[in-house]
Amino acid sequence: MRQDEEPARDGNDAQPAESPNWALGLDLGVRLGLSVVIGLGLGILVDNWLHTSPLFTLIGMVLGIGAAMVTIWRVARDAMRK
Amino acid sequence: MPEEEGESLIHVAIKAEELFQLGPLHVTNSMVGALLASVVLLAGAWWFARRNQLVPTRVQSLLELPIELMAGIISASTSRWRSYAALILGFFLIILVANWIGLLPGVGTIGIAHVDETGHEAVIPLVRPASADLNFTLGLAIVSFVMFVFWGIRANGAGGYLKELLGQPLYMAPLMFPINLISEFSRLISLSMRLFGNVFAGEVLLATMIALVPILVPAAFLGLELIFGFVQALVFALLAMTYISTAIAEHHSAGHDSDHDTDHGAAHAAGADHPPAAEAASA
Repeated sequence: MRQDEEPARDGNDAQPAESPNWALGLDLGVRLGLSVVIGLGLGILVDNWLHTSPLFTLIGMVLGIGAAMVTIWRVARDAMRK
Repeated sequence: MPEEEGESLIHVAIKAEELFQLGPLHVTNSMVGALLASVVLLAGAWWFARRNQLVPTRVQSLLELPIELMAGIISASTSRWRSYAALILGFFLIILVANWIGLLPGVGTIGIAHVDETGHEAVIPLVRPASADLNFTLGLAIVSFVMFVFWGIRANGAGGYLKELLGQPLYMAPLMFPINLISEFSRLISLSMRLFGNVFAGEVLLATMIALVPILVPAAFLGLELIFGFVQALVFALLAMTYISTAIAEHHSAGHDSDHDTDHGAAHAAGADHPPAAEAASA
């Protein structure tokens, strides 16, 4: 398929421009949970390494929750830019 | 005895199983699946390059269908869609073919019989769908992640990207840097785990259904897996595209639009740089 033919063929199809939003919504739920898990996991790893439990586990959890909030904020910001 | 037969049918290993060793390379059944998917795609591309007609035949129309669907979505994303269209289409097609290969008769059922550690007789399938192996999905996610970072750096410059990671104001960097880092890495893990989880769960579901009710019922689940395979390929490609287009959009909203206009002035004038959907809307 030649690239210069694509715009003309797809020119009438305005629907796809909105499609990625549902994919983002699907992704957001997973990333919220994963952010907390990553933060918590890293905290537990560092605690096991330095024998400082539960200091870094708590720090990791807070950072993970923070990352989840930042993720929501970024997705909302990007959606509003469209 | 029927219980033992059932156990061997439900056997689906979470990691890809080794078939043979080729020097230092451990060849697994998911590698065979990935290789098969690549061969199918290359054969399709070769056929397409030779038999491509202006007025498409039925087969050509069928092959163009998923490509046109993705091309429509990609071309409506940003004005620089041509730069990453091939990558996103590549993601979509390889995942789609890899997922659907798992539904072919013989895949997952024909293999090498062996006795496992527990003393049960099991079959190592010769072919396993590549996306049911975390190595494959993680590999794709890493490529997507590198491209996203590359576009972020290309659009904002290395300093701009680092500033985005450090957060603003700068004195908040010790707190915001690890938070942003976790947020960035969650994309990588989310992309790879979702695809792997869905396809692997599909494999387990099919194996269980075949073991429980071998006649008719698995056909319904095969149909469902056909849809899930398509949806998962679409979701992966859409997310990779959204991440890249977001990196580019950040650049645009940061007030560099004038640079962009001069860079792409000629293409703009030719109408090739505009998302077709936007053109249609303005018309």
